[in-house]
Amino acid sequence: MTGFWDGDDQLLADLAEAVLAAREVPLRLVDAGKAAFAWHTVDAELAALAFDSDVEPAAMRAETAALRAMTFVASHATIEVEVTADALLGQVAPPRSGELLVRQADGLVRTVQVDALGWFTIRPRPTGLFRLELTQSTGPRVLTAWTSL
Amino acid sequence: MPDVAELVLRARRGEQAAWDEIVERFAPLVWAVCRRYNLSAADTDDVNATVWLRLVERLNTLREAAALPGWIATTTRNECLHLLRDKKKQISVEDIDGPDERPELDAWLLMQERHIALRVAFRELSERCRQLLNLLFAEETVRYATISAQIGVPVGSIGPSRMRCLDTLRGNPALAAFEEES
Repeated sequence: MTGFWDGDDQLLADLAEAVLAAREVPLRLVDAGKAAFAWHTVDAELAALAFDSDVEPAAMRAETAALRAMTFVASHATIEVEVTADALLGQVAPPRSGELLVRQADGLVRTVQVDALGWFTIRPRPTGLFRLELTQSTGPRVLTAWTSL
Repeated sequence: MPDVAELVLRARRGEQAAWDEIVERFAPLVWAVCRRYNLSAADTDDVNATVWLRLVERLNTLREAAALPGWIATTTRNECLHLLRDKKKQISVEDIDGPDERPELDAWLLMQERHIALRVAFRELSERCRQLLNLLFAEETVRYATISAQIGVPVGSIGPSRMRCLDTLRGNPALAAFEEES
């Protein structure tokens, strides 16, 4: 059988490289990775990022003052957001009042109200990595994919 | 040691220990990709956190566990590029990451996967073997007499022990896929 490690010297050298490289990994990275599992228990329907003007700039509507637009789609609801200089404006469809949690990866959580037309305003803008969690009177909770501005 | 597919299944069912093992196994890959892009410590922290959060998010829909190393490498790379692009808006991806880098990247990823498998196999060796091989990693010039004194093995049995330990390592199922290649 032929392979990468026909000779013991080769195998030992490759092994040494592998083991020593892993020892350089800062422990805080491993700890942060393990801590991320806390999100696994969140029981909600995931809304995937279906549109991002950063990815498709041509599709951006010319008349808006928004710096960026994104659309998250779940089977029960769609969340559209527009980024402005100082806020994140959005609308939920179908329009219905509810509550929106702005969950930042750094642990900060804010609650904003969604009005009867489905509109909401998050001011100031979220920082770092965040996701939105929508709760309405009917239907399952909806959680957007992680995103950053 | 469970394979990745089993770890993913168990993590999906909510087992923190299985998730921890996935992180332990693949954190060096995330780290290595960040190093390729010369990210600062703070940027590496951001990218690292993003990658694991995205993986938790993907855990339930991940179809092919064998594709996990590739997914982690690609996601990390994309996050690195995203971050670098934000910092230097005018620089195109090609400037950051050469246009012809793909084949080299594939070879590099294969090496990373080999290293991940080697570390899994290494952890399963007896403590004695790990101790001996560890001393042999240090440098070629470490004399058998020094090793003999350090771990209490007769000089004459170091050579045969080294061979036995490496044979055991080679026989680990985690390495089977790599033995059959090339």
